[in-house]
Amino acid sequence: MSKDKNKNSNEDIEVSKTLFQLMREQFMEHTAAKYSLLIIVFLMVAALCAPLISKVTGISPDAQNIFNRYASPMTTNTLSEDEEESRVEEFIDSYPEEVRKIIAQIKSDDLAMSTLEDSTDDDLIFDFMATLKDPVSKQSWITKDNFSINYLLDIKESLTTFHLLGTDELGRDVAMRLLFGARISIGVGLLVSFASAIIGLLIGACAGYFGGILDSMLMRITDSLLSLPQLPLMIVFAAVDLGKIPYLNHFVGSENESVIKLITILCLFSWMTVARLVRSSVLVLKEQEFILAAKNLGASSYKIIMTHMVPNALGTLLVAVTINVGSAILSEAALSFLGLGIQPPIPSWGNMLLNAKEVIYESPALTFFPGLLIFIVVISFNFIGDGLQNSVNPKSIKR
Amino acid sequence: MTNFIIRRLIQNFITLIALSFICFSILALMPGDPVDLMMSANPKITTDDVARLKALYGLDQPIYMRYYNWMAQVVQGDLGYSRTYKVPVTEIIGPRLLNTFFLLTGALLLAIIVAIPLGVVAAVKSGSKLDYYINLMAFAGISIPSFWLALILIIVFSLNLGWFPAGGTETIGVNLTGFEYFLDRLKYMMLPILSLTIIQMGIFARYARSAMLETLKADYVRTARSKGISRIPVIMKHAFRNALIPIVTVIAINFSFIFSGAIITETIFSYQGVGKLVYDAILANDFNVAMVSFMISVGMVLFMSLVADLLYGFLDPRISYN
Repeated sequence: MSKDKNKNSNEDIEVSKTLFQLMREQFMEHTAAKYSLLIIVFLMVAALCAPLISKVTGISPDAQNIFNRYASPMTTNTLSEDEEESRVEEFIDSYPEEVRKIIAQIKSDDLAMSTLEDSTDDDLIFDFMATLKDPVSKQSWITKDNFSINYLLDIKESLTTFHLLGTDELGRDVAMRLLFGARISIGVGLLVSFASAIIGLLIGACAGYFGGILDSMLMRITDSLLSLPQLPLMIVFAAVDLGKIPYLNHFVGSENESVIKLITILCLFSWMTVARLVRSSVLVLKEQEFILAAKNLGASSYKIIMTHMVPNALGTLLVAVTINVGSAILSEAALSFLGLGIQPPIPSWGNMLLNAKEVIYESPALTFFPGLLIFIVVISFNFIGDGLQNSVNPKSIKR
Repeated sequence: MTNFIIRRLIQNFITLIALSFICFSILALMPGDPVDLMMSANPKITTDDVARLKALYGLDQPIYMRYYNWMAQVVQGDLGYSRTYKVPVTEIIGPRLLNTFFLLTGALLLAIIVAIPLGVVAAVKSGSKLDYYINLMAFAGISIPSFWLALILIIVFSLNLGWFPAGGTETIGVNLTGFEYFLDRLKYMMLPILSLTIIQMGIFARYARSAMLETLKADYVRTARSKGISRIPVIMKHAFRNALIPIVTVIAINFSFIFSGAIITETIFSYQGVGKLVYDAILANDFNVAMVSFMISVGMVLFMSLVADLLYGFLDPRISYN
């Protein structure tokens, strides 16, 4: 876009671009990264809007319906008559004013079934609901545009649910659970990645900047944590009873206990790569003149690290953080899949897969979507990381 | 060289000891100890009995004393008794280790055979359509959740096609010998190996590609070409041999990832290996088995990373260990 404009106005002079513009152009050249970013943004917006979507469609992620288990994708389902009756009764009990209006309307229109002349007014409502089963009469009521009757129409509407991706072993809507699971899975991934970046930044910067015995001690710990098999360690930590640990025991029994535990565990085991990256770039920066200048001007170590070193290491850090999001999501899913991560009823993609595994013979289709979403999100974050790697690497920027 | 090995061995040993203490204390934080389990199983038990049993098992002592006692036993060769299997731990571990060894070797071999040629081809034809697709596949391999892949494999190959069994280690109740036994084991190992190997393929292919790209740019490759040696020998002899150094390291370092993957894979396919043993023992609070199998797996991984470092020096004479 801007290229054409430049050509028209002054062909020979190259317009200078800011570093950010250069990086953005470089990033956009990576097609896979570009589309991945779109997918992630879309999924994040969808996840953030999940309660709204749930409200609009009238499908709750926790609503169970044992009469409608293992429904296949793209099916509609009508709730039982018992459910309808109880909802209408609830309506009659809670909005007597509206009910009176409706009854008056029905009587005046003479639409009430004359078969039950001697019945009570409440029965009239139920009869009316029965007439709504007939689409022709339903249409006639919708066109009447009576505000009170809309309530009844809404009730009738809420009884039929459309399941985009079918239902699971408890008759819960899979699509809605996936949407709410996205909040947990992507949320945990982002949180763990940022938190571990901060831990890694602190440890790496301290080790690189102060050097000496602190450096060798911190790096020994980092190396040994890196060389250990992560999953068995995570399983050991996940099996801990929080009640026996001081400070953490007041989370016990709270709804989010498993989420907090999982985030803590994942943070413990994912800061190492960031620490190594930051340390190596700090080691290089330490020898630069501008750091010496800052030191001679009397800047404190904190100031030097935070304002001179961290911004310079930000590019590599960004790449590591992005790729970490993907691996955190994978670890979360793996632990939840083993039954040690996020505990039901909170839906996460990992524990949805665990449920699906148990009913794999009844409904193989249930396994498909949670895993596919994990796959798409993780590959997207990896592609974005790759694209960022290209764009922050000064060698690859074409000017 | 010897100095380096000794230093690394001491370092690994310290890591192992530190980790065993951490792991011991954490397992002690798990809900329920053996006496608690006995109490829930036997309502007639009295508080006197409980106190006596706790003293007998040493559960009334502080953690470091319990750790010391446990360590003293292990050093003497007594690994303890499994609470769930009711046999000494040594009897369970052996065959489990062997099973996992088969699984990991199979997965590693398959990954190496498939991924490294792909990576080399991608690097040689870098920038082409083929390179693009290999790269895409490698990314997919890295990002795919192995447990999901395992479930999909079960659905496709054992539920629908019925080619392979959905789980297990060998056909039970049949006495097979020789080649038939091997085939039987292979049938059960096929799906676990496939689900384990895909991620490794992705990682290896990417590393092989970038290592090859690096060496193909090197001066000695250009020199060899300008001296008139044809393309293929230069790629194979000059470039690939030098690219092998980082590739071998990655393979050895990846051992810990494969082992982590093996836990999930073995659990899904109920393959009787160490990974499943660690998982089951921790969940069932089978203290001795959990500790021993955990330490063995960690020791194995640490040993492999030492091997990686040694191989590195062996392949690249420029590296010195001083």
